[in-house]
Amino acid sequence: MSNMMAQTINTLAVTDAQTVNAALLVSAILFACGLIGFLSRRNMIIMFLCTELMFQAAALAMIAFGNIHHDISGQVFVIFILTVAAAEAALALGLVVLLYRRRETLDSEAWSELRETA
Amino acid sequence: MTENLRDRGMDCALYSSYSSPIATVTLLEAAPAVSPALALTVAAAISAAGLAMLMQPGRRGLRLAGTVIGLAGFAMLMVEVLKRATAGAPEGGFPPVFPVIFGFLAMVGAVRMITSPRPVFAALYFILVVIATAGMFLLLGAEFMAFALVIVYAGAILITYMFVLMLAQQSPVAGEGDAWYDRVPREAISAVIVGFVMLATLGDAYFSPAAQRFRDDTSIVSARAGEQAAWQRLESMPKLLLETARKAEPKTAAVVSTNFDELSNRSKNATLKVTLDDGTSKDIALDAALLPENSRQVGVDLVSRYPAGLEIAGVVLLMALFGAVILARKQIELGEDERRGIAGMRRLTVDGEAGGSR
Repeated sequence: MSNMMAQTINTLAVTDAQTVNAALLVSAILFACGLIGFLSRRNMIIMFLCTELMFQAAALAMIAFGNIHHDISGQVFVIFILTVAAAEAALALGLVVLLYRRRETLDSEAWSELRETA
Repeated sequence: MTENLRDRGMDCALYSSYSSPIATVTLLEAAPAVSPALALTVAAAISAAGLAMLMQPGRRGLRLAGTVIGLAGFAMLMVEVLKRATAGAPEGGFPPVFPVIFGFLAMVGAVRMITSPRPVFAALYFILVVIATAGMFLLLGAEFMAFALVIVYAGAILITYMFVLMLAQQSPVAGEGDAWYDRVPREAISAVIVGFVMLATLGDAYFSPAAQRFRDDTSIVSARAGEQAAWQRLESMPKLLLETARKAEPKTAAVVSTNFDELSNRSKNATLKVTLDDGTSKDIALDAALLPENSRQVGVDLVSRYPAGLEIAGVVLLMALFGAVILARKQIELGEDERRGIAGMRRLTVDGEAGGSR
């Protein structure tokens, strides 16, 4: 059973340039969606969630390019991306909770007075 | 030889079970011939318009039209994905449906994530994106990262997000529905323009003919180097090398030498010189199926090529831990507004007033 599964995975892993192209296109679309979400949403938690979406897109592109170059380093870099994403989530969410307790809202515009005066 | 036969048998079985012609392929061939970059740009522009309309709050008709237009642009994008996934596939073979399925799921999840007015649903849609991306990773031969992604992202990071959402979410007032700042996007149209300019730039960088040619050339040239690197990683694990040799030749007593350093020479195949139980030595040929599995290769590459990066990652995680603890320990007894009121300062109008007027 496990042998059969391993064989299936091996067959799946035999990729051609077309699968890589599809993955690159999906990664570009995910990145654009993350960017749009980050710019247009007001909820601070969703904004950080959108940065996670961009991390996903970067990880997908890393793995696709690693596949093109037949280099395992693409996959190793995804480990570092995961590390940074986890650190970012921990810090950002701590910060969001703190900001929420001050203003009792998740709206990022509640903090727009921090900007430069026009 | 037998490995080769088995692989081909697998392929034949896989293809013959899907031998019925799939309608989409003929549909693609019937499509008018336009340059791929132009098709991609048009599809991106149409889905951009749809997305911009989808993000307008409160107007059901506009949202509905946005959904229709967005789906149309989206279908065009999917056709581009499909073209990329099917062009050059073996004649009569089954079109690679998995990249299309996973790509579709990822895109739907991403769009719903940034348009959903409910934060909890946005987080759940992000889990859908993570799972679809993990499927993509599997297709690209990154099994370890696929599972790590599901465990770390869907299992840990997203759960943290859910916790904070539930901690910080205001309980909805009856009859009011979602918070206004979740319903009303900020500068939706400019955001969509920026995002799709980004998409067009990335698409051009990835899919211009020159980039495509460069990728194809690189892929062919580096395949050999990649295989050699994989064998050399096996060599750096003596115990596993012995096990591998025993898989190829059960009577192996010890490994004497390898020819993995000479593999850049195209005519050579991986061989091992071993001594057998009875003291004689023998050369055994190794098949690519005996290479260490993906998780082992990633691990060896991580600790042997990037030890400094590993240390820095550890420091980053430690600092994040300290930072989170320090941030969370900060006591805030009263809301800032109340304190300002007590101190006789102008009170900030935050949610109550602003939310009512918009």
